[in-house]
Amino acid sequence: MTIKKRATWHKRHDLPWLLVFVLPAFLIVVAVQFYPLAYSALLSVQEWSLTESQAPQGFVGWDNFARELGDSTFQRSVRNSIVITGGAVILEMFLGVCLAYLTMGSSWRMRAVRTLLILPMVIAPVAAGTLWRILLNSRAGLVNHLLGFIGIKGPEWLASPDWAVVAVILLDTWQWTPFVLLVAGAAIASIPEDLLEVAAIDGASRWQVFLYVELPLLMPLLLLTLVFRTLESLLSLDSIYSLTFGGPGFSTYTMTFYIYTQGLRNFNFGAAAASSWMFMVFASICIWLVFWFQRRER
Amino acid sequence: MRNKTSAKIFLLKLLHGLILSVACLVVLIPLIYLIINSVKLPREFLTVPPTILPSEVTFQHYQELIDDAKTIRYFRNSLTVSFWTTAITIVSGTLAAYGLARMKLAARLLAGITFIFLFIRFYPRVTTVIPFFLVMRQLDLLDTVWAIIIGHLGITIPFVTWLMLVVFQDLPQEIEEAAIVDGSSVWQRFWRVVLPIVMPSVSAAAILTAFLSWNEFLIASSVARRKASVLSIAVASFVSDKGIQWGPMAAMSVVMILPMIIFALFAQKYLIRGITFGAVKG
Repeated sequence: MTIKKRATWHKRHDLPWLLVFVLPAFLIVVAVQFYPLAYSALLSVQEWSLTESQAPQGFVGWDNFARELGDSTFQRSVRNSIVITGGAVILEMFLGVCLAYLTMGSSWRMRAVRTLLILPMVIAPVAAGTLWRILLNSRAGLVNHLLGFIGIKGPEWLASPDWAVVAVILLDTWQWTPFVLLVAGAAIASIPEDLLEVAAIDGASRWQVFLYVELPLLMPLLLLTLVFRTLESLLSLDSIYSLTFGGPGFSTYTMTFYIYTQGLRNFNFGAAAASSWMFMVFASICIWLVFWFQRRER
Repeated sequence: MRNKTSAKIFLLKLLHGLILSVACLVVLIPLIYLIINSVKLPREFLTVPPTILPSEVTFQHYQELIDDAKTIRYFRNSLTVSFWTTAITIVSGTLAAYGLARMKLAARLLAGITFIFLFIRFYPRVTTVIPFFLVMRQLDLLDTVWAIIIGHLGITIPFVTWLMLVVFQDLPQEIEEAAIVDGSSVWQRFWRVVLPIVMPSVSAAAILTAFLSWNEFLIASSVARRKASVLSIAVASFVSDKGIQWGPMAAMSVVMILPMIIFALFAQKYLIRGITFGAVKG
């Protein structure tokens, strides 16, 4: 056998082995992801409240969807999700990019600052929620105490419907600005140095260089990060669970939290499945955007 | 003129340092305050103004946690879940990624598979939590660590496969060609030639998997109630109708956070590569 023949012979005989390699992962993903997904699609068109019956109570078509859309808590959750995710992601993008510029460089001091700044990201979201619950206690909390130093009387963070929303935004921003910092930092570092030098020689000010040279180069990645963060923020449950538990009242119910309570607190399986599929449609559009951005990047 | 510019530079440097100091404080103060709270006496919790430096350092909250058999169980369960999730994920994910990378799939098919990975990473997990709960109930696995492990595997295996797929695709084919000519099998090539080269990426994937599994809350809280409860559930459980148990809550949060912070300080590069994967390539 010549060398070349042997190589092609191998390639053909490799295939069964390669399939065996892929098989375990494939089976687990189908069993743990695709089967439940199909199951939940099936549940969304059925009536099933576990408190009333141990088995599905019959096919109801689009009823669950219509009922959920008309539900005032559902509507409120959608609004809350938009406000919280919108607010948090805008803050994160702005602060993250600023901090990325301010922490550029490879001196030990900058490296230390960066290491420190990413710490919030590695904390379990559920623990971050309890942490901020301690900090935001309206009378005995540290935040209002510090605000008192500069003469501001802090609000009733977690007891007021509006400030509770702000609190959730602050927590998300505190925890996830580091993510934007990391991604933006990596992107800035990859801009060719000479490009900036040429612009500077041409007499452009630092601000102009940023606006006309760097920003267009960073834009695709920043947009990708934006969609990334939007999705993650929409899907987060843990931090709201431990910071406000949706309260006071329903004022910090987000889509994810609403579906969670519908399904695993009230055991309205049909309703929860229907709302989660409506949510899924929106998430799928975002996921498609991420995919599209990634392909363009390559 | 000259003086003016140097004064301006000095001011800018000052401002730069000031902003970074504030940012560091915003990150550090909450963490330090949490640790302080975990060693405070119960009566100093709700004082106005807040007690910043406790009059006495007490380890009673930690002592209570250690004395409570439940805490030890939570901790053990968290360790068990993270360990098995990581072990199974790394073995099956790395193998699957190698298989996919060497199958010579059509570009379109590979793009489709990548989309599936991306979808699993980002679709609203609450959608599948209820069916997953029902399946586990049917299999009589509710309230066992295996229910949590299986749930975590569904997230971590696609993610690690995706991560490693990119690594294997970037590997030059020539590396394996000599081994092919020598007549070694796929398994030998994978085990002896490829795996040693990609070991750093495998470590990154393993660290990331352990991190995700340790911090995960949604799946764990949906299938575990008592026996199989893990730390993330325990941390959330101190807020109840009876009020908030501040001391134990702070102590338990420290117990949960500390290992990951140590992880982040020593394996920063790996952890970052994992967390930002998908946004930044490789």
